[in-house]
Formats: sequence, C-alpha cells, structure tokens
Amino acid sequence: MTEQSPVTSGAPPVQSEPAEGPDAITGWRRMHPITPALKGWRIVVAVVTIVVIQSDNLREAVDLRHGKAWLLVLGVLAVVALVGFAYSSLAWRVTRFAVTDEAVHLRTGVLFRQQRQARLDRLQAVDVVQPLLARLVGLSELKIETAGGDGSGVSLAFLREADAEVLRSELLALAAGLQRPTSVPTASAPISTDVPPAAAVAQAPAPAPFDAAPEREVYELPMGRLIVATLRSGAVPALVLAVAGIVVAVVASRDIGALFYMLPALFAGAAFVWNRVNQGANFRAAISPDGIRLRHGLTENRAQTVPPGRVQAIRLSQTPLWRRKDWWRVEINVAGYGQGSESQRDTVLHPVATRAEAMTALWLVLPDLGVEDPVALVDAALDSTGDDAGFTGAPRSARWVDPIGWRRHGFRVTERALVTRSGRFWRQVDVVPHERTQSLGIEQGVVQRKFGLASFVLHSTPGPVSPRVEHLGAAVAAALLDEQSARARTARATATPEQWMRAVGVPTGTADAPPEPST
Amino acid sequence: MTSDAFPVSREPFDPSDVIWTPVSRKLIGARLTVAAIVLVPLLLVTGVIAVAAGEPWLWTLPAAVVLLGLWISWLVRRQVGAMAYAERADDLLVRRGIMLRSLVVVPYGRMQYVDVNAGPLARRFGIATVQLHTAAPATSAAINGLPPQEAARLRDRMASRGEARLAGL
Repeated sequence: MTEQSPVTSGAPPVQSEPAEGPDAITGWRRMHPITPALKGWRIVVAVVTIVVIQSDNLREAVDLRHGKAWLLVLGVLAVVALVGFAYSSLAWRVTRFAVTDEAVHLRTGVLFRQQRQARLDRLQAVDVVQPLLARLVGLSELKIETAGGDGSGVSLAFLREADAEVLRSELLALAAGLQRPTSVPTASAPISTDVPPAAAVAQAPAPAPFDAAPEREVYELPMGRLIVATLRSGAVPALVLAVAGIVVAVVASRDIGALFYMLPALFAGAAFVWNRVNQGANFRAAISPDGIRLRHGLTENRAQTVPPGRVQAIRLSQTPLWRRKDWWRVEINVAGYGQGSESQRDTVLHPVATRAEAMTALWLVLPDLGVEDPVALVDAALDSTGDDAGFTGAPRSARWVDPIGWRRHGFRVTERALVTRSGRFWRQVDVVPHERTQSLGIEQGVVQRKFGLASFVLHSTPGPVSPRVEHLGAAVAAALLDEQSARARTARATATPEQWMRAVGVPTGTADAPPEPST
Repeated sequence: MTSDAFPVSREPFDPSDVIWTPVSRKLIGARLTVAAIVLVPLLLVTGVIAVAAGEPWLWTLPAAVVLLGLWISWLVRRQVGAMAYAERADDLLVRRGIMLRSLVVVPYGRMQYVDVNAGPLARRFGIATVQLHTAAPATSAAINGLPPQEAARLRDRMASRGEARLAGL
C-alpha cells in the first residue's frame, strides 16, 4: 500500500530522482552560525558537573579556594571552554542537511563522518525544541523521530525559529504525501495543507514551499491545576511522610546528623516536582491536518507534532489522590519516542486531564472508538468493575490471586480498538487500535493454572503503555487471543497509509492514478 | 458480552486448529551439557573436600549437587518437550514453559527482522535459534533448538511472508 516507490508514479521528471550518492543531492544547508556557541557550553557544563560530582567532599573545594589553586581551576576551565568551542565550530563546519522529496539527509562528524538519511514516509513525529539558551537568541532545534529505536532520529540543531517552523511544515507535508508545489506542473493542481481537500484550488507559485497547516486548539492546562496535581501525585505525599519520619527521629535522638541522610531524598523529590511542573507548564494541545500538536515547557519549549496514525497505544491513569478531583494522566506510545527517562516528557498527551479533557485527548488520537456511545464506553472503562457495561471481567476465582483488584481486571473489544482496564486504587485504562497491535500472547503461572486463569498480553512499541489483562478465565483469554489476532489482521489491511494525506483522496502526485487534468 | 459468549476451548495453550511442530530433542543435550559444565566441577570439588576432611556430613554437599543435576535433567526434558511452534497462514505461534506457560502470536506483517543464532555448543549439537523481532521489544518470540536447515527455511519463509504483507508499523 505504502511501499511502492514514489518514483514509479506518473509524475513528470521535473523532480530530480535522488540518486544513491550524496553528491546527487542538492540544496545542502548549514545550521545557524551561533550553533557552536550554544553547543560549546554543554561541554563546559558537562565537565564542571563531573568535577563537582567527583570532588564529593565540599570541604576540599573550600580549601582549594584559600590557596592559589583556584587560579589553576579557572585556567583549566578556560582551556576546556576553548577546546569545547573549537570542537563545536569544527563540528558545525562539517554538519549539513538537505531535504529531498523522499528523505532528510544529515552529514555530521569531525573524525568519524556520518551520513544519515531518514525516509519521510517513515517519520513518526517532528518536534521543535527550544532549550532556554537557544530560546533567548531565537533559535530552535528540529527533531525528526523515526522508529529505529534510541537515537535513531535526525536532529537539526540549531535553526532560526522561523526556519525551523517552515521546515517542519515542509517535512510534514512531504511526509503526508503532498507534492512540492513548485515541482508540480499545471497538470495537477498544487495543494497546500491549509486548503480543505475538497476545495482544491490551484495556487500561484509562492516562495514558501508549503504553508503551515492550520491548527485548532483543543485543550490547555491551567498552571494551578498542574501544581496541585503534582503535589497530590504519589511521590510528594510519600516524601512528606519520609520527612516527617526523619524529623521525628532527629527530635527523638537529639542528633542532627540524621538530617543529612534526608538530603538525597529531598533533592530527588524536588527534582521530580520541578520536572513535572517544568514539562507540563503551558501544556496546550491542538489538532491540525498534520496531526496532533502538543506545546509545553517552562524553561525548555517543546512543540511536538504527531501525525495521524502514529500513536500506537493510549493510557489513562489515576493515582488515589487524584480520585476526588477525577483527574487523569494521558500517555501515548509513539514509535519514535522510545523508552527511557527522556521519553517521559515526550509521551504525555495530557499531564492532568479532567474526565472531559481525557475523553477529548482520546478522541484526538482515536476519533472513532467503534461504538455508538464513546462517552459511555470511556466512563465505563474508568469506573466499572466486573462484567458491567459490556466489559469482560476476571472470574470470581481470580480473587484468590488478586484479592484487592480482581474486579477491575477486564477488557472490552470494539470495532476499532481493544480497551483494557485495571487497578482499584491506581486505576488504569489502555486503548489500542486493532491495526496497531504488534504481537499478542497469553501467560499462565502455576497458581493461575490451578484456578483456571490466564493473563492476556498485548505487545506495543516502546513507551509508557504496555497493555495486559491479568487473570482472565483461561478459555476467555485464549478466545481473545484468537479473535484479536484476526481483528488486527483485518484492521491492518484497511489501515491508513503511512502517507496520511493519500487516505483522504488528495491528489498527491505520487498516487497510482494519473493526476486529473485541472479545469 | 459475558464470558459465556466465548467458545470454550479445551486447553488455552492448545488451540484446536493448530498443528504444533516440536523443537529438536537435541536441545536437551545442549542444555544438559551447559548444566554439566557447571555441575561436574562443583561435584568434583565438593567430593574432594568430603574425602579430604573425612567428615561424613560433608557428603551431603556432593549429594545435593547430584540431586540438583537429576532435577535439572528432569526439568530440561519437560521444558524442551513443552517448546513448540506453529506456522499459520498469517501468523506464527510460539509456545513454551510448563510452570510459567506462555503463548505468543506474531503476525508476519509485523515482523521487522529475523535473527538466526547458533553458538559453538549449539553448532556442535546441530541446532540453532530463530528469534523474531517486531517493533515491540516485549515480543519474546524465540524458537530454540531448530535444526539449521529448518532454521534457514523458517527465516526465509518469515522474510518473504513479512515482505508480502508489507511490514510497517
């Protein structure tokens, strides 16, 4: 479906065929000249951090300041900074990128040259990131995520803010299967993304290759709610308890020393709160023809664009202290974002959603849940237990394996997706569209076998969502496995193509059908 | 939809429409060799200690090692007996385990790449391992103990089927 090479289409040979050699690609561009200044600092900061961490004894450092040794330290720092900036400038000189109709090319490396080519139809997400320093000088980094695992994406740092945004629209339009307006002859009407597909109008050749897709804001997170929610999330009450315990211990033992053992925990807690607030601040979500657009960050600005069909799975989760407010955290699996601590800030669709917003977030990803009343379905998934509301729950015998949460284990299959629910106090609901199923499995331990139970597992791409339904009846789990693999197969056959604009019948110039003559 | 609506199959890990191919029994030999490499020196050391010290209770150590060896050989036999795979029209089924049983269904269209591995010991026993990879790292679909020809056939078959079904994401 999506695999045939665009070169084989009926498009006239105006677009130069990208040959294999890098010399055939024209339009190599450099990053912004300030880049080395911004990147050089990272080396200095890294060295200083290592030195500070290594000299674990603070007194040692204080002693150094009394002697002449601090001059030496300053000198070493200056040399490090010089080397850092020199290396960054060298790296900047050899770094180039080019965008063709099929791929993004990036050449990097001073000693070890690297040429990376990322196919645009395999693009998973495009992020525009502005770290604090870059933001002050009006630069941003453009990140193109592909599904090749950690570090597989292409990072273009740094570009002028406006350039980065133009490039983003260009990449997304090309990835969607639209054709560059300038390279399209009059035979097929050039379409820019902000024109509704039905009303395709021929445009005069514009200097900008693609207009930015129009977007409509869907929700916004108030700062107050974010702070309250962060303070009510699991880690903070635990930290407060720990602090109270240590204070009691200090008072009881009349030894101030215990306070120092508390410091690492305090730092960790503060870092957690700061990260949550920093990443979730100014969180806004919008929808555009390019996909879901997420903007967030206090010090570091991130604008993520996840094209349609790139979200592999969705999770709504709630901690006990959020229950009364009915707040939910919405997270997604996107193949490009991978795993690890870094991905935590990328894979959040809504840090603190009310129930209505959670439903909106779900709708952003899956406009059609495949049921008549999606609101009732989501309500049921969030609240129901047992076999209520069309869900299939765990049988009574599961209470011997999981006495607390057994009623919440359950699933419901709709025409479009599998909805699983679990957790009595830490509630969780996962939704996986059938066509995004990677592989499936069932598992059974010794105890489960004794009670005729089995767990159903759905494997999704790396990310925060890993759906599984524990302790189903063994026969139910086996039947679900069988039916779900059949459903995934049929859903895949009709899934949206990776060049998503081709799904809505926009003449993209690369389609199989010859372009219609314009009027 | 209650649980009654599902057809009750006799055994969840043994769907009725599937013909399982067991893995090669040579895998037992390979796994027992690995166990022997660890256990035989241990047996010798404990035996020598028991003889040298002359304390009768020290003989419990080599006895324990022997018991462990017997238990492992019984377990390995059963484990290898439980390993099987089945090729269906659109997906591959991999089954394993007795205590902790699992069954994985990997659609051909989801296969990203296939690995065939054979270590020195496995080569001596004439077996290889085929590992299927999807975009999900959790997919644990490895088939141990395949004869090399069968492994190569399976690999080629997977590759061609994956291609025919347009492996994407």
